[in-house]
Amino acid sequence: MSRMFWTRAGAVTRRGALAAGTVALAALATPLSAQESVNVGVILPLSGPNAQFGINSRNGIELVANEINENGGIEALGGARINLVVADATSNPTQAATVAQRMLSQDEVVAVLGAFASSLTLAISEVTERRQVPLLTMSFSDQITDRGFEWVYQIVPVGSELGRATFDYAVALAEANGESLDRVAIMYEDTAYGTSQAEGLRAAAQEAGVDLVMDEAYPLGITDVSPLINQLRRSDAQVVFPVSYLNDSLLIVRSMRQQGIEIPTIGGAAGYIIPDFREGLGDLTENVLSISPAAYDQAPDLTDRFREEYGYFMVHEAQEHAALMGVLVSALEAAGSTEAAAVKEQLDTMTFDEGWAAVMTGGEVEFDDQGRNPNAVPLMVQWRGGELVTVWPEEYATGEAVWKTTSAGE
Amino acid sequence: MQTIYTLTQTLVDGLLIGGIYAVISIGLSLVFGVMHIVNFAHAEFLMIGMFVAWYAWAWLGLDPMLGAFLALGVTFLLGMGMQRVLIKPILAAPQVAQIFLTVGLLFALENAALLLFGADYRSVSTPYQTEALSLFASGGERIIVPYAKLFAFLMALGLGASVWLFLQRTRTGQAMRATAQDATAARLMGIDTDRMYMLAFGLGTGTTAFGGAVILPYITASPTVGSQYVVLMFTAVVLGGLGSVAGAVVGGLLVGLIQSFSALVLPIQLQNLILFVIFIAVLALKPEGILSRRTG
Repeated sequence: MSRMFWTRAGAVTRRGALAAGTVALAALATPLSAQESVNVGVILPLSGPNAQFGINSRNGIELVANEINENGGIEALGGARINLVVADATSNPTQAATVAQRMLSQDEVVAVLGAFASSLTLAISEVTERRQVPLLTMSFSDQITDRGFEWVYQIVPVGSELGRATFDYAVALAEANGESLDRVAIMYEDTAYGTSQAEGLRAAAQEAGVDLVMDEAYPLGITDVSPLINQLRRSDAQVVFPVSYLNDSLLIVRSMRQQGIEIPTIGGAAGYIIPDFREGLGDLTENVLSISPAAYDQAPDLTDRFREEYGYFMVHEAQEHAALMGVLVSALEAAGSTEAAAVKEQLDTMTFDEGWAAVMTGGEVEFDDQGRNPNAVPLMVQWRGGELVTVWPEEYATGEAVWKTTSAGE
Repeated sequence: MQTIYTLTQTLVDGLLIGGIYAVISIGLSLVFGVMHIVNFAHAEFLMIGMFVAWYAWAWLGLDPMLGAFLALGVTFLLGMGMQRVLIKPILAAPQVAQIFLTVGLLFALENAALLLFGADYRSVSTPYQTEALSLFASGGERIIVPYAKLFAFLMALGLGASVWLFLQRTRTGQAMRATAQDATAARLMGIDTDRMYMLAFGLGTGTTAFGGAVILPYITASPTVGSQYVVLMFTAVVLGGLGSVAGAVVGGLLVGLIQSFSALVLPIQLQNLILFVIFIAVLALKPEGILSRRTG
């Protein structure tokens, strides 16, 4: 695994005296502008099992940074350009913390964006909190903003909220289609993301008095899901809620098809709402539902720019990371300074509704005392002919839900 | 409440998955048996096999079951090349050096794959992928045998039998076993042991790559897929007895069955708990493996 993978504006640089010398020379050569560029730290899993998500996220951030740089940089900082300092967190929390530590001691970053996977973000937040640098994240886990940390900002609905919404929306969709839910099944991968979302699902189901006929955690690197699917088949559930990353989501949907299980499948974001899911399963994805913390059909004018640039639809992690970058840019513009405290003050008080910040559902981002975004609304999306369509809640829906099995062409 | 259907289904699932563990473990065991090297990078050849089969499918339209032979060939050559360049110089080196080399090779291969193939998950679609045999159906109960797994199992079985026949019946196979038993004596008998080492390594990596290719219809290929199998592979090999081909087969099937049956009584999250408890028990009580006879 490439443990250390530092890039600066896309090119690998050599650190140490040489770099310092070059910077000093560059500073001498252009003494006029005080603000050359603003370093923004980006820590993502760029290798290992979550690499694809990390790459999607980086694409979202780069898109925004490039747009800002092409349009004159950050005005309030004398047209300073955004310089992304990208580091690979791999998929290992210890490594993520080490990388964060190194980044904060070697590069003067104004804030850190990252790190997709909740377990990585948790590790990084320990470092950013200690060093008092804002950490902007789209990881779901409740824990991230449950610990009373002051320097972490979570732009998405937290995992338990997503879980709860998944359940509530499913009930609403079932009702709208004349079915009442009595027996549901939950299966989830057992790291921070799956566990927190399953908690929300479980709580909502219990409150609604619905029978949890299956409630099963499985290890993230699972290679054979047949025990899971056998159990699902025996459970006689009306709906299944799988919370999985990509490989496990493919295994689960495929095994369900093999066993002829045709109940509605409502995924827990992550693996269920990315182009690879479609590529891996083809027509089997048709009508698979999933919760999503954001959806590209909510702000097509912005998200189409991503599709043009990278050739695939703007996946939610790219969208949220783009929003985080947009929020940071607005905060820097308002603060007119790269001082951490000044940026933090803007993050704590401002309402972000301009530029890429508006790509989030409802078009507004704020952060409450806990560092959460109260305007974040989970959405229910559904696969239709290779695209994701928002189907619930009604005020955000761009299409009507099909409440039936995952069968294609039926 | 476990009905006869549930138990039979569990047995079938365990055997189907165990057959795959068996074929990917044969290679590891062979390499150890002949060269006395523990190849930590071995699972990476499973990944390489998957990618070869994936490209064969994507570019040539070859079904992974046929692509598997291509994977076998490519990895056989690749393995022989690696043996000559990397493994041969450290055959006589201290064990620590061998461990460092193969662990280093693991990281190198994984990252090379990441550079070459990208971090994308690659998956094939074949017509039989979502179809399954339904046996003994009655009253809503039935035994399900997914075709993808059945084919993979049969292919694995076929290759396992071929390797066994090769080792038992051919002169080269006998020479390889002789090298495994006593390299010095084999050399005195006129066997080119260097060639045997190279062949064994190629065959070992090729077999594992073949196993990787045949599971492609139900497992996604990615540069890190090896890490999902490496522990299972070592468990299978140690259970059956490191260095024994027949042992690797028994070990592989056992691992599959243990995984499958433990899911009946324990949460799936603890799928591997019983497996590792048995693993530790075997190491403590019968470290030479359940089948201790060495067949090379």
